[in-house]
Amino acid sequence: MYRILSRAVCTARNHHLCVYECYVLPVKYDDVLRAFTGANTLSTCIIRQCEKKDVSDQNETTTKDVKPEVEAKANDGGETQQQGDGKVEQVLSKPSQVKSDGAKSGKEGLLDLLGAMKVEVTNKRKLKNLKTKQSFETSAQYKSKPAAMESTISMFQKATVQASAKSDALDPDIVAAASAAAATLPNQSQAESELLKQLRQRKALTEAQKKGDINNLGDLIADMKVGKKPARQNAWPADQIRFDDDGQGYTHDRGITGELANIRKRRNVFPTKRLNIFSPTTDQQGGESALAKPTLWDMDFANELSLSANQMPRNGFEEMIQWTKEGKLWQYPINNEIGLEDEASVPFHEHVFLEKHLEEGFPRQGPVRHFMELVVAGLSRNPYLTVQQKKEHISWFRDYFHQKKDVLSEADVDLS
Amino acid sequence: VAYFALGSCWNAVAQVRSYYVDWRMLRDVKRRQMAFEYAHERIRINALRKNTILPKELQEIADKEIAALPRDSCPVRIRNRCVLTSRPRGVKRKWRLSRIVFRHLADHNQMSGILRARW
Repeated sequence: MYRILSRAVCTARNHHLCVYECYVLPVKYDDVLRAFTGANTLSTCIIRQCEKKDVSDQNETTTKDVKPEVEAKANDGGETQQQGDGKVEQVLSKPSQVKSDGAKSGKEGLLDLLGAMKVEVTNKRKLKNLKTKQSFETSAQYKSKPAAMESTISMFQKATVQASAKSDALDPDIVAAASAAAATLPNQSQAESELLKQLRQRKALTEAQKKGDINNLGDLIADMKVGKKPARQNAWPADQIRFDDDGQGYTHDRGITGELANIRKRRNVFPTKRLNIFSPTTDQQGGESALAKPTLWDMDFANELSLSANQMPRNGFEEMIQWTKEGKLWQYPINNEIGLEDEASVPFHEHVFLEKHLEEGFPRQGPVRHFMELVVAGLSRNPYLTVQQKKEHISWFRDYFHQKKDVLSEADVDLS
Repeated sequence: VAYFALGSCWNAVAQVRSYYVDWRMLRDVKRRQMAFEYAHERIRINALRKNTILPKELQEIADKEIAALPRDSCPVRIRNRCVLTSRPRGVKRKWRLSRIVFRHLADHNQMSGILRARW
């Protein structure tokens, strides 16, 4: 049972709590000091220590002289987090309440640190709260505080799923179920009262969560139950000294890979329920107003700026950009109709029926007309020219024949 | 290699300092640019010349006109040189490279999809 407690302490993910734990354990472990200095391997080290440690040793140590020392240490520690401080204060305030409880004198050392955190002794909870327990256990591995909070919140959210059926004053069905479950236990009345109390706490918790009141989450967490981790993997202490063949010791520096692996064990990164921390409307509006579509003036200014300032390309990418702008490089993805976007809107009859351009400026009979009709026939079949280019061709011929009128008249060509 | 480039808009000649492989490549570049400019005129005048309908007097005048155009404007004078070495012969059109450069790049894995043939 104390093993579970200590595990709960370790996995609370508070550096200072872990610091307490270090001092609670007998100092004969050299690893404690290393764990105190090392940040990442802190909780894992302590977990392993908890596993190996004799439970009975905990009763021997007293925490009173340890606590002020540790407090000073905690304040000096550079890794203070505000939430951690708040938690520490809460935890420190709890012991006075806990000590008054006569039944818990034996567990003084750790329970003082934990406050009112209760240990799950029996399996009566398992039937009801299997999911929440597992989520809390998985959350227990997280290193970062917000992750811990988030996981507890997700745990609460899962509790809400279960508690959704509960009305404001505990559902009669649930009361009946609680009494039935308590009937299986030896101490029926006490078990039942405890059950109902826990259920009410859960409901209060979820309602507070729904309202968005997360401030007293510390109190809520302190009242929570901690479950036992079902599978233990790799029971080696993180900083155990291993020995080479020549007798020189070295520690296996795992770095952050262990932590990342632990984080990856999470089944789902995004919890199923929303946290309701942010209201959905506020984010979008602010962004849109600031980045209104750039006007033509803005683009022109940006263009001039780029021309004036940056002449030389700094790398291959900029060189390719410059070439693309100049036209030396094709634009990707390849567009066969670059430069001809307007042509798509031109109707086909303007391409094909070009005789109307022959009506004026050209004679109606004679070789010139014959020639121009051939020209128009050729142009109408040409899909590669734009309409403008075709018109330019025809107009050029018109001008040419006007210039060469005297030559044509000498050759007895009909110019009517 | 500094050369005079034709500005298209104002017909101004500006000295552009750039590097072509050799002067022959530069001249080839100039011919290509000029051929692009005079392309429409040449094809129209040639259309007048190469038909049997118009009177021959007109066609003779057209001959003289096309001969009066700058010599570098005709596309026939363009030579497809290797882009990297300016080699005039042994140039594959698709890659615009001479056979030696092509082989060099292909052996060094720089040509996508090119394998040594074996069958």
